Amino acid sequence: MSELWRRLQWLFRRRRFEAELEEELSHHLSLSGDPRRFGNTTLIKEDSRLIWAGRLTEQFFQDTRYGLRAMAKNRLFTAMAVVSLALGIGANTAIYSFMDAVLVRRLPVSHPEQLVVLNWSRRAKTPVIHSINGTMWRDDARGSSSPNFPFAAWQELRGEHGVLQSLFAYARADKVNLISAGQAELASCLRVSGNFYSGLGVIPAAGRLISEQDDRPGAPMVVVLSFDYWQSRFAGRPEIVGSNVTIDNLPFTVIGVSAPGFSGIDGGRAAAISIPLRTVPLFAPKPDDDARDRFLDSHFYWLEMMGRLRPGVTMSQAESTLGGMFRRFAEASATTDRERKGDKPQLWLEEGASGLDTLRREYSKPLFLLMAMVGLILAIACANVANLMLARSTARRREIAVRLSLGAYRARIVRQLLTESAMLSVAGGGLGLLVAFAGVRGISWLISDPLGDLVLSPSLNWPVLAFTFALSVVTGLVFGLAPALQSTRIDVTPALKEARASAPTSRSRGFGLGNSLIVAQVAMSLVLAVAAGLFVRTLSRLNAVELGFNRENLLVFSLNARPAGYQQQRLAAFYENLLSRFRSVPGVRSASLSDFLLVSQHWNDENLTIPGYTAPGDGKPNSALLSVAPDFLKTMQIPIVLGRGFGPHDIASPRVAIVSEAFSKKFFPGANPVCRRIGIGSHSPADIEIVGVAKDAHYNSLREELPTVAYVPYTQFLEDFGQVSFEIRAAGDPLSLAATVRTIVHDASPAVPLDGLTTQAAVIDNTISQQRTFADLCTGFAALALLIACVGLYGTMAYTVARRTGEIGIRIALGAKRAGIIWMVLRQVCLLAGAGLAIGLVIAWQSSHVVQSFLYGVKPNDAYVMAGAALALAVAAVAAGFAPAWRASRIDPMAALRHE
Amino acid sequence: METTRPEIPPGSLYMLILKTLARLGSMHGYGIAQHIRQTSEDILQVEEGSLYPALQRMMIKGWIVGEWSQSENNRRARFYKLTPAGRKQLLRELGEYKRVQGAIARVIEAV
Repeated sequence: MSELWRRLQWLFRRRRFEAELEEELSHHLSLSGDPRRFGNTTLIKEDSRLIWAGRLTEQFFQDTRYGLRAMAKNRLFTAMAVVSLALGIGANTAIYSFMDAVLVRRLPVSHPEQLVVLNWSRRAKTPVIHSINGTMWRDDARGSSSPNFPFAAWQELRGEHGVLQSLFAYARADKVNLISAGQAELASCLRVSGNFYSGLGVIPAAGRLISEQDDRPGAPMVVVLSFDYWQSRFAGRPEIVGSNVTIDNLPFTVIGVSAPGFSGIDGGRAAAISIPLRTVPLFAPKPDDDARDRFLDSHFYWLEMMGRLRPGVTMSQAESTLGGMFRRFAEASATTDRERKGDKPQLWLEEGASGLDTLRREYSKPLFLLMAMVGLILAIACANVANLMLARSTARRREIAVRLSLGAYRARIVRQLLTESAMLSVAGGGLGLLVAFAGVRGISWLISDPLGDLVLSPSLNWPVLAFTFALSVVTGLVFGLAPALQSTRIDVTPALKEARASAPTSRSRGFGLGNSLIVAQVAMSLVLAVAAGLFVRTLSRLNAVELGFNRENLLVFSLNARPAGYQQQRLAAFYENLLSRFRSVPGVRSASLSDFLLVSQHWNDENLTIPGYTAPGDGKPNSALLSVAPDFLKTMQIPIVLGRGFGPHDIASPRVAIVSEAFSKKFFPGANPVCRRIGIGSHSPADIEIVGVAKDAHYNSLREELPTVAYVPYTQFLEDFGQVSFEIRAAGDPLSLAATVRTIVHDASPAVPLDGLTTQAAVIDNTISQQRTFADLCTGFAALALLIACVGLYGTMAYTVARRTGEIGIRIALGAKRAGIIWMVLRQVCLLAGAGLAIGLVIAWQSSHVVQSFLYGVKPNDAYVMAGAALALAVAAVAAGFAPAWRASRIDPMAALRHE
Repeated sequence: METTRPEIPPGSLYMLILKTLARLGSMHGYGIAQHIRQTSEDILQVEEGSLYPALQRMMIKGWIVGEWSQSENNRRARFYKLTPAGRKQLLRELGEYKRVQGAIARVIEAV
């Protein structure tokens, strides 16, 4: 240990150490008085250096010093290399930190690798399942899958103790109104079984967590806060534990806070609070509602489950055991013949170490795509640096030949060249971290979702830093090794005979490594440019979509007065009162509400009864519905083309509807639908009168076909009406009304929190955020790739011209035209770029279908996009090659020949 | 320069330096070389090219430390002296030397 310390001391104070040795030797000399006998002082000093530092360290320092000197001499070269590497490595690190957050990071619980998520799948109809409340997705391998089960199935599977240590259940987070100390706020709420926290192995940060005794019928109602929510809403005040809060009008007691870092099991959607599963029926709108029965209904699938495997039990063992139990449960739940004969859902298990995979399903494909793109950029940057290194080591051929002929080991020279490229890549990696830091913030901002509760927390943590470091070292080796090997594999004699500063003619090297690198760079840049073109075109197609309403100057927000105790007519009165107050605000043109916003990816449809209409096949007529206040069409500026709009009297007698043109065309082809009657619901009487036809407008998203829509007064469905969205048309900037609106809502009832205050334009933008992000990122990436490739092309051509100065001088002296010289250089640029473009086009043509699912209104092999990308690249390549060509044509023949 | 002077057997230079310092207490490089030469009656000559690297190695090992002070010709010189680790090393080397010397003697005298 102390030996290492002494060596280190030497390292930092070697100047003093060496001066001391020098003085000591001269003292010796003065005493012995025989300078002839005294060996080589320099040799002794070198020996001593080797002794202190060790051979490898000393040579490493030599190489580093030499490298630094070379870098300082070629500042432009160094800057180009380091910056292109920094951009490449930075972009990779930034994207990787998102992958880490979404795909790699595990739940902060004990032994996450033991966790499994329960799902079932089906290929055909399963009559035992009457309804599902939750997510469902399709894939080719299993058909439709869902993680939702009946409560009774959980009770059944829990009894099994062979393969699982514990099986806990939860219902997904939804927003509840949490009132604490008179302040109302929406919070996402997870309903969890009593063994949830113990099964996961999460510990409390304060108080205690929900346990089995809290999850019994009739137990005192308790709530646990997540650490983040405790911090953000209650500033981490300890006295909150034990205090009383109101959740959707029911009294709860805060019993504790869960451990920091844990906010539910869905990596993407944090749960602010959790309450016992048994409280679910208490939230039913009406006490006598069948919601209480549904809790125990074995045909109602709503509850999700996660289990912890016993040590030594594999997932497939657990799957077969639990699968058998679940099949018996499903068979036993069948009560009618149809249910008995029909298919049953099949249980399957999924790894749960990273929590629920909604985020992964949603983001893994885009992230892999982005990762592939930044990988290409890094490859281009590496090719660039390799090319620059190659050019430089070609210039050092003579030096290397001299060293080889004096007996230097080839491995020693390769090591020196590798040290230099490693220095470049480490510098690039360091700078790349800054790029990554900026990139993570930039991308976070791009994908930020102001309306949802998506929580992605990418950060430059240790795995990410390790990734960057590994990337730097590997790139150093990759771009350093080939040039180093090539430049030391030279025939010494001819290299020594060459005149100083001249180089082998390009012909003797054939189509060398350098040219191949440039062709590859151009090809990869073209692929990125094509991708960027496709995404930009998709975005412009989406932005050009005719909405059918005026999205500008609309302030929107949502609220729900039902949990605060307003129901039925009182609810309608509360909303009407708010609307009239909004209308009286100066700067408000009109105000309205609907059960959700247009083009916000919501959908509500119902079967219809339309006398005289028979649907093709045995289906029932079906249409999208929107419950609205009378001023809705006027506020959204959706014109009425036939009949009348809604008036205030339609609130009181709401059996009326206004339908869209598509609705009219589909269900009343060639006829006037006004005054016709329809029924909403499969078996309802046709007692709703159509009073008007509105122009078509987008309903769910920008990418849809215009759907059939029926607008009805919201008072028609007061029964289960609660959450509504308000639309306020402003004369000017809608957000300037925000403060006034907040005050009005708070004055009307402090117990009703307001949510999602934004503009209609922002809501629509949010639905195409992925396309926008892709267009922005890919344009950036393509520009980056183009820039790096052009730098490489420029560097190589400038270098070629410098090498051929003498030859070009002779050509000019012999009468070559300036234009001919320019063409001579540009011809090489065009050949390289042309080869690259041809290869790139083939690759793009073959692979563009990969991004098909991200596109709208444009084919993956869009000819305009391909041609545009190729043209942009060709122009950039010629521009990059022109400066060296111009310089070649300005060579003074006299100077060039003297230079030789 | 290259005369018939015998080489110092490899490895024993450390022992000679350590023993010299143990005897003299504190000495500079030239003095160490002189002492070895004189005590061996001019048979063992320590080359400067091996003396100083050896001293440096021994400093790294922590067997000796150097201190600067005035020498006999009124110039600054580095005087080396043993550390406790150096003293221990000397005993180790002497023990090893005696063992090997005895073994060699037995082999030769057995004839």
